[in-house]
Amino acid sequence: MKILLFGYGNIDRQDDGVAWHVLRGVAERYGVILPVFPEETTTEITETLTSTYALQLTPESAEWVSQFDKVIFIDAHTGSIEELLHVEELGSNFQTSPFTHHLTPQTCLALAESLYGKAPQAIIVSVRGYEFGFSQILSAQTRELAMQAIRKIVIYIDQSGD
Amino acid sequence: MVTQKITIEPVTRIEGHAKVTIHMNADGNVDHAYLHVNEFRGFEKFCEGRMVFEMPTITPRICGICPVSHHLAAAKAGDEVYGAPPPRPANLLRELMHMGQIIQSHGMHFFELAGPDLLLGFDADPAIRNVVGLIQANADLALKAVNLRKFGQEIISTLGGRRVHPVFAVPGGVNKALVSAERDQIFSGYHKALDTVKLGIQIIKGWAEANQEDINKFAVFPTGYLGLVKAGNTLDLYDGDVRLIDAAGQQLELFDGRTYLDYIAEHVENWSYLKFPYYKKLGFPQGVYRVGPLGRMNASDRMSTPLADAEMKVFKAMNPGKPIENTLHFHYARLIEALHAVEKVAVLLDDPDILSTDLLNTRHNYKGEGVGVIEAPRGTLWHHYWANENGQIQKVNLIVATGNNNWAMSKAVDSVAKTYINGQVVREGLLNRVEAAVRAHDPCLSCSTHAVGQMPIVVEVLDQQGNLTQTITRGE
Repeated sequence: MKILLFGYGNIDRQDDGVAWHVLRGVAERYGVILPVFPEETTTEITETLTSTYALQLTPESAEWVSQFDKVIFIDAHTGSIEELLHVEELGSNFQTSPFTHHLTPQTCLALAESLYGKAPQAIIVSVRGYEFGFSQILSAQTRELAMQAIRKIVIYIDQSGD
Repeated sequence: MVTQKITIEPVTRIEGHAKVTIHMNADGNVDHAYLHVNEFRGFEKFCEGRMVFEMPTITPRICGICPVSHHLAAAKAGDEVYGAPPPRPANLLRELMHMGQIIQSHGMHFFELAGPDLLLGFDADPAIRNVVGLIQANADLALKAVNLRKFGQEIISTLGGRRVHPVFAVPGGVNKALVSAERDQIFSGYHKALDTVKLGIQIIKGWAEANQEDINKFAVFPTGYLGLVKAGNTLDLYDGDVRLIDAAGQQLELFDGRTYLDYIAEHVENWSYLKFPYYKKLGFPQGVYRVGPLGRMNASDRMSTPLADAEMKVFKAMNPGKPIENTLHFHYARLIEALHAVEKVAVLLDDPDILSTDLLNTRHNYKGEGVGVIEAPRGTLWHHYWANENGQIQKVNLIVATGNNNWAMSKAVDSVAKTYINGQVVREGLLNRVEAAVRAHDPCLSCSTHAVGQMPIVVEVLDQQGNLTQTITRGE
C-alpha cells in the first residue's frame, strides 16, 4: 500500500501554510526531519509512505497522484467549514474556478483517473486557519489544531497498514 | 417598479478574489454589471524594510500562478537599483525561464480552463463542460496539453531549481549556468510542444470560424492597447519599450518602462479594491487600455519568430489596420504567443552564449531606485523599488498585469450581461458566458492563497426589496 501525504498552501501566509507544519510533524513521528522551509521536495518517509508539498495543486500533480494507492491531502480552511479539523473522503470530481488557475484535490483525482487511468483512494485533512498575514508563524489556535491533525493522520496511516 | 440584483460570488478563503453583480431593471433587462475585485495589496507594505537583493525570492510569493514573472521583474528592478546590467548570457537565461512560464501558463489556460467552454460549448451541461469532459471527447489532446505545460514547467525547474518559487535571477544576472545536458534535455521536448501549440491554433481557428456570430457580439468594445515592443514594434515578452496605441490603432506613446509614472495613473472606484490604471493624458475612463495577449498583439506589428509572425499576420488580417476588439480573440492571441514562446525556446537554446558562465555583473553603480517591467502571461507587470543607501527597501509600487485589465474585465462583464441576459429567468449557460468574459482575460487574483474545496458560483436574483426570487448555484 503506497501512501502519499500531499500538503499544499502558502507558508508565507501564516495559517494558509499549516499543511507544511503538519507534514513535518507526521514525518517526525516516523523519525524523519523535514527542512524548516519546503523546497518542493519529495521525501520517502518509509518504504511505503512518501510526502510532498506544493504551493498549490497543478495539473501535473495528477500524474504523481496516480502512482499511489492512497493520498492524504492536507490543507487549511476558514470558517466556511464548521469543523476545526475537517476530514473527508474524496472522490474524483472536476471542479473549476472562473477566476483563477486554482485546482482542487477532487479535480486532481479526476485528472488522474481520466488521463492516467487510476485515481487513488483519497482523504483530505484540513485545519481551520485564523490568521493569513505575511508571516511564517502559525496562529496559536491553528498550531494546536495542527497537532491534532498530526495525530489523526498518523493513526490513519497506521490503520492503512504502513 | 421592481429592480433585481444578481450576484455571482466565488466563496473564497480570504481576500484576493472577485464577484460579479448584475443589476436588472424593471423590464427584466440588465441595467449595468460590475466585476468587483477584493485584491489584497498589503504585499507592497510587507516588502518595506527588506533588502533589494531579497526581492526576487520574496515577490514570487505574491502568487503561485505567475511567480516567474514576479521573480524576473524583481530582478530587473534590482539590476536598476544596483546599477548592474546583467551580462548577455544572463539575460538569455532569464528570457528562457520566462518562455517556460509563458508556455505553461498559456497552455494551461487554453486547454484546461477556457478550452472546455470553447470546445464543448457555453451551453453544455456543466457536469461535462470541463477538462474531464474534454478528455472524454479527446483524450489524446488532453494528454498533449498536460505535457505542454510540463515542458514549460521543466524549463523553469531546470533553471530555477524548483517550479514555483525559483531561486535563479539576482540583481546583476543569474546564479546558475545552463549545462549542455540540460540544454539537450529541454530541446528534446521542443518538437512535441510545437506540435501541440500548432494543434491548439488549428482548434481555435476552427472554433472561431464556426462561432463567428458569438465572437462578434461577445464583449466587443474599443480601448487602448499596451505592451512591450522592440525595434520595428516587434512584440517582446521579456524586455523592450512600452508601446501604447489608441482604439483606432494609432500610436499614443512609445516610452521607456522606467518612466511609467509619467504616463500611467491609477483610478479608484468605491466598488472595487483593485485600482484602474489608465493613460494619464486622456484621463479616466477615456485612457483605459488592455494588456495581455490581445493587448500585446494589437500594440505590436510583428513577432521575432517565423511561425508566430505568420500567424500574427492572419490574426491582424481579421481587422486590417485596426485593433482586434473581440474579447474572445484573447484566446487566439494567447496561442500565437505560446507558439512564439516555444519557437523562442529553440532560438535561445541555439544561441552560442546560452552555455556561457559569464552570468553576473558584480560592478555596481548604485542608484537606489529601480523599475523592472516584464510581460507576464496575463499582461504588463511593473515592479518599482526605492531603497536607502544600504539597499534596504523604503517603498514599493507594483502595477500587476490583472490590474491593467481591470476596467476591461468589468466592461466585458457588463457587455456580455447586456447582450445575453434578458427576461426574468437567468439560465446557467448565460451565467457561464459572464464568467467566460472574465476568464478570457485569464485574471490572476489569487494573492498566493487558496481555498479548501472549489469556489462555488452562486447567482442570486433579488427584487428591489431584497427578496430572493431566483438562485443558481453551481459546483457545490
